Amino acid sequence: MTEIRTIHRRRRLALGALGVAAAMLVSGCNASTSTGGAASQTGSGSSGQAAGSANKPTITLVTNSWEGSLANNVVAQYVIEHDLHYPVKLIDLSEIPAWPATAKGQVSAVLEEWGHANQYQRYVVGNHQVINAGQEGPLGNIGWYVPTYLMKAHPELATWKGVQKDWKMFVTPQSAPQGQFLDGSPSYVTNDAALMKNLHINMKVIYAGSEAAQLTEIKTAYKQKKPIIFYWYTPQYENAIYKFSQVKLPPWTTACAKLPAAKVNCAYPPYDLYKIENAKLPSTAPAVAAFIKRFHWTSGDQDQVAYDMAVKKMSDTAAAKAFVSSHASLVSSWLHGSDTKIVVPPPGT
Amino acid sequence: MLAHGEIAVAEGAVDAPSPRAAAPGNGPSSPHRPAVCWLLSAGGAVAVVAAAAALSGFHAGFPARWNPGVAGGFSSLDNWVTAHQQSNFFLGTVIGDISTVLAVCTNGLLSFLTWMTWVGVLAAAGAASWLAGGWRTASFSAVVVAVLGLSGLWGESMATLSLMAVAIILSVLVGLPLGVAAAVWRPVGQLVRPVLDVMQMLPSYAYLVPVVILFSIGNPAGIVATFIYAVPPIVRFTQLGITTVGGDVVEAAAAFGATRGQVLRKVELPLALQSILLGLNQVIMMALSVVVIASLVGTGGLGDSVLQALNVVNVGDAFTAGIVIVLMAMALDRSSGAFGGRIGRSGRRSARQLALLWGAVVLVVLAAHYGAGLGDFPSGWSLSVSTPINTALSTLQNRLYHFASIPVVGGTSNLSSFLTLDVLNPLQRVLTALPWWVVLAVVGGAGWLFGGLRRALLLGACVVAIGLMQVWSATTVTLSQVVVALVLDLLIGIPLGIAAYRSRAVDRLLRPVLDLLQTMPAFVYLIPVVLFFSVGNVAGVVASLVYALPAAVRATTLGLRSVPVDVVEAGDAFGATARQRLGKIELPLARPYLLLAVNQTIMLVLAEVIVAGLVGAGGLGYSVVVGLERDQFGQGLTAGLSIVLLGVIFDRLTQGRSRAGTFTSAT
Repeated sequence: MTEIRTIHRRRRLALGALGVAAAMLVSGCNASTSTGGAASQTGSGSSGQAAGSANKPTITLVTNSWEGSLANNVVAQYVIEHDLHYPVKLIDLSEIPAWPATAKGQVSAVLEEWGHANQYQRYVVGNHQVINAGQEGPLGNIGWYVPTYLMKAHPELATWKGVQKDWKMFVTPQSAPQGQFLDGSPSYVTNDAALMKNLHINMKVIYAGSEAAQLTEIKTAYKQKKPIIFYWYTPQYENAIYKFSQVKLPPWTTACAKLPAAKVNCAYPPYDLYKIENAKLPSTAPAVAAFIKRFHWTSGDQDQVAYDMAVKKMSDTAAAKAFVSSHASLVSSWLHGSDTKIVVPPPGT
Repeated sequence: MLAHGEIAVAEGAVDAPSPRAAAPGNGPSSPHRPAVCWLLSAGGAVAVVAAAAALSGFHAGFPARWNPGVAGGFSSLDNWVTAHQQSNFFLGTVIGDISTVLAVCTNGLLSFLTWMTWVGVLAAAGAASWLAGGWRTASFSAVVVAVLGLSGLWGESMATLSLMAVAIILSVLVGLPLGVAAAVWRPVGQLVRPVLDVMQMLPSYAYLVPVVILFSIGNPAGIVATFIYAVPPIVRFTQLGITTVGGDVVEAAAAFGATRGQVLRKVELPLALQSILLGLNQVIMMALSVVVIASLVGTGGLGDSVLQALNVVNVGDAFTAGIVIVLMAMALDRSSGAFGGRIGRSGRRSARQLALLWGAVVLVVLAAHYGAGLGDFPSGWSLSVSTPINTALSTLQNRLYHFASIPVVGGTSNLSSFLTLDVLNPLQRVLTALPWWVVLAVVGGAGWLFGGLRRALLLGACVVAIGLMQVWSATTVTLSQVVVALVLDLLIGIPLGIAAYRSRAVDRLLRPVLDLLQTMPAFVYLIPVVLFFSVGNVAGVVASLVYALPAAVRATTLGLRSVPVDVVEAGDAFGATARQRLGKIELPLARPYLLLAVNQTIMLVLAEVIVAGLVGAGGLGYSVVVGLERDQFGQGLTAGLSIVLLGVIFDRLTQGRSRAGTFTSAT
């Protein structure tokens, strides 16, 4: 008898638990039908201060894995919420998944694109689900860098020929018997392995696999004033804290750009960073679509906001507010000026 | 942690690709065969290897010309899906509707939690865990809820909680019927098992892009990714629970005229409930272990905090978010574990008590929302541990990195160069230099030894598949790291396990540390690992080692505890010294568990291959990450599948000889 009773009891308990879960879900679902949409709004600093945004769609911007991308977004969020009165949410997403998401309208816009000629071909030229929203302003500069203390001690490192000569000082257990060249996040385009081969430099490219790992390694070397050479880029707020100097590679030419990846023997192309937005944004949120097409600033502006957040630990909103209130005319040009120049990612990027 | 031992063992039996666990020693599985038959198959095997050698020659690795284009095929499939996603009814409408339901439910749950206010959440969590486990569980949950608030991550925690709740409910809704079906119809069971293996071992990174393309970014994609990883345990435990219900009980019910359905509903399912709840417990733990991965597709929540902290290399912030995830997992684990332990025992509250309790909770919620006008946890009440952690790490690095800072070993940088130059690189060189058919012969031969011809064929097929997918060299790189991590893990883990068995104090000290290592998202220790060991293969080995260590320690302790007391006492009576007792009695008798330790350690090390790829260890992990980040779906998936195949090979080799005796029945 006790056996049967326990079985019943268990069933009741289990049913009860299911019932509670179902009730929560149902009540939740009802509560939210008006909000619709995809991801929840979290971790992105200021939320819905937009007055009069009752019937306006939520604008979703993608934050990529570098701090500069967050800097773009917090400033844009501030302006869109305060001047255009649309609610904004920021979501973290990798660069590649951001493209299909923008095409489907789950993402309204991405304010900083580095290349991505394939995705551009597929979604902008191909099925017209994404619009090129023009130049962002900063010129992305990818290349080889060494800490400035090292450049001062070894002035020959100013060009790749110096690296060819000095490879021995970069040997690590990882790369032995060759010198080590440190690459970072796999999402960034790199030709470094081909460059080593084609420029006859006795170095091995070690892929750190993530920017966090790469930066940690660079900082450890920097602390000890040790030799290190790595793939790096501007704009990057860390450049305001650490002094890095660029190593000149053979100049980039259009002829070199046409070479297959394994044959590349010149510097990285200059990346004219650009913005993209969902093709339907001009009809669903015209003011925002226009704002994004006009948004334009400099590397210095971006680094400053990124620095305020990452190093000075200012909140996202505070950093954005500080920038907006000290750049009134720039912000006004985003609201009333003209569209930025259309730039197209070069092939192979 | 309540019932942690049992959970770890059951996890061992079920996480491993097959419910048959690693219980060796009962003699070879194959019955005696005629010698002629054996000779014939052996001759056949030698012929196969010789033919392979003749065809591909003595070159290192796998011939590049044998390339059926698997990666390219996967990529075209991906392109096809992208192109037809809108026009295809199933891909567009059906999956689109599923996404909408998932999004609406998650957002709804989040709004509900927000509406409840933080005081309401505290009250509800306290009440639920009091019902599940009593005052201790309740106070633990309450402390955890308070910490969620004090960490300054209240909003993120609630977002993660609602995402996890929906993913877990979805797992139960799908997994439970599937488990029943697998138990009732054998073919279903046979079909489901390899699929679950792949779901559990294939790194989420490998399929995130199609998940994002098919389901919306944000919560739907996050839920689907979590579901894929977390659903296997409930299917397996349900199946296991039902199939282990004694045949006599079922026969007795049938004798009383019960139909098949009645037997299932009234006898088998209730008796399997304990096992099912254990499965639920595992689902919860696994779901919480992929919070950060879910954030890669834009779900927000605590995973975002970890990722954003990584972007600016702020370990303190990442650690804070990591601890919050760990505590949330521990609270859910304790409550669900206590609930499972309570089932079938007396002490249930009466209906009146229940009504009173929940009535009180509702009153608290209403009072907090309407009366006090509360909302999220007050942002002023926060305790930040971020800066102290960063300072401590930096100091530690200064102390430990340089040579001569630790006696004998030198600094962590010396240790790292030693491991790279004298252990990992030579091993990797050997593995890379071997022609593929040598590996085929070794792996196939070992399979034969342990499991007969069938296993030899299976393992041989795995080796060939890795070659055909053209990921041979990346696989050898990963293999060398897996082997080193395993050896180090056992060298550290078994003595620790023995120490924990010998001394209660050590055990008590180790437990929270092991819990922390196992549930802390690996992304959090990505930076510390590089701080001490530099970018490279050692960093990868250390990251995997840290994650897998708890399994080695726990299985050892558990194995020693399983040795019958009378045997130990008999040894003592014969005058055995402590050393003799350990070496001659306890360790040999605990052998099945030690083998389980090996098996589980390898599985966990393989689960960490991705993180190894994120700290510069290269290999398959890096290929999978590149696949995601650079839009090379085929490459990522083939590398991911190769990790699965490595897992199958290691699992079948460490399962030992016997097919009998699952561990769950042993406990």
